[in-house]
Amino acid sequence: MIELKNITKAYMSGGVKINAVDNVSLKVADGEFIAVVGHSGSGKTTMVSLMGGLTKPTTGNVMVGGTDIWTLDNKQLALLRSEKIGFCFQFSSLIPTLTCLDNVRLPASFAGGQRGGVEHALSLLETVGVPDKANAYPSELSGGQQRRVAIARALINEPGIILADEPTGDLDEYTEADIMELFEQVNARGVTIVMVTHSRNLAARAVRTLVMENGTLSESSKTSS
Amino acid sequence: MGPWIKGNLPEGRLKDNEVILGSNAHIFFGKSESYIGDKEVFYGKEFTVVGILDSTGIGIDDGGFVTLASVYNMTKTSESNETKRLLDVKPGEISALMVNVKPEYARVDVATAIETQVSGVAVVTSKELMSSSVARQLEGLRPYLVMIGGGFWVISVLMIGALFSMVVNERRRELGLLQAMGATRAYIFRLVMLEAVQLTAIGGICGMAVGAAVIFVLKGTIEVSLGIAYLWPGAGFIAVFSLSLLVMAISTGILAALYPAIVASRLEPYQAIRTGE
Repeated sequence: MIELKNITKAYMSGGVKINAVDNVSLKVADGEFIAVVGHSGSGKTTMVSLMGGLTKPTTGNVMVGGTDIWTLDNKQLALLRSEKIGFCFQFSSLIPTLTCLDNVRLPASFAGGQRGGVEHALSLLETVGVPDKANAYPSELSGGQQRRVAIARALINEPGIILADEPTGDLDEYTEADIMELFEQVNARGVTIVMVTHSRNLAARAVRTLVMENGTLSESSKTSS
Repeated sequence: MGPWIKGNLPEGRLKDNEVILGSNAHIFFGKSESYIGDKEVFYGKEFTVVGILDSTGIGIDDGGFVTLASVYNMTKTSESNETKRLLDVKPGEISALMVNVKPEYARVDVATAIETQVSGVAVVTSKELMSSSVARQLEGLRPYLVMIGGGFWVISVLMIGALFSMVVNERRRELGLLQAMGATRAYIFRLVMLEAVQLTAIGGICGMAVGAAVIFVLKGTIEVSLGIAYLWPGAGFIAVFSLSLLVMAISTGILAALYPAIVASRLEPYQAIRTGE
């Protein structure tokens, strides 16, 4: 479970204090599929980054699996990120100098390497639909293929949570639908997914939709899965 | 003669019919090159070449070494064989004597002792023999050379530091992504430092190779312009010296990349990913 307790993240911009996330509280149950929608600059990405421990809140607590993650030291926080959370980012997030197979195996090396076997990585590439791209470099892949490899990489350590920031941002609608189907399959295996998106259509495929506006969060609607 | 000798001399002392030639001696025999085993005639006496010296830059390049007994013998053969020039060396007469001073004795002290205790001799020390003006010039230039070298070293530290700062800035997103995947700060620090070590090690090796090549090409010019012999040091010295330079190059890289590596390790993943997009 992820829980945000009265989270505020403030930035100074031109001498003016701006709350990118303003006193937000949220609970995400295990196995949920949540979509976060909102205009650009509304604080969606900041909120997801707070959930994943990529940035420290100005005030408030971030609980992951019952642990306040900002009470952990750097090493413990890094281990939590590698073992419990998988990230999918906007645009390509693959390391350009590594092959797809090595990209997929990379997070496992930070988590001790037990799950970083070639067989496991290849089976994930097969799961996401790019089994023939193991030895290809990211530059040889289309945008959709790169996103699939990134999803395989996010799954390598079998995390309980996937945080996806605009995972279909620059993809055509067919590839977008394929990626969404992939997320639904992952979610069906019990993995919690929090997905940031601009698209109300994509958000409609999630179980819960949250709306960010000027750093505040509100529940939009509930759809049946 | 040790450093200049080409190949290995035969065991034992030089025999009376053997000669070690200077590097240019072959010219006097009208040859383009002399070889070990060649037979050459001096003042009517035949000698076998048992050694050839490398260029020393001094007078012995044009001559040769034989035993003292051979010299006296040549005075006789030069008369009996009616050679072009007579060798006029009386028994017991010598023109010069080379003294090998042990390292624990000062060269000047030995020279002074000889001059005061042996009448009718003039003593020159090896520094004067080689080229006193060159030695003095090099001595005078040393502080400036050290300053120039130090200046270049400081510039290289700053340049490598600036380069790695740019590399870290260029790769902010990648470094942020690595942290998001579970890389610790220590891992990021090691990553940048390892790249610095690799880069400076390769740079150091290339620099040494280029430096050695330049010296090799300009060896002749150095000898001619300075009037001194150029000698390559022994393999052991070259190995230790090269290793020291490599260590120095790597240390320079480590020092220069320290600050960028610390900056990289302290990047907040969220900011690094967003600002690097």
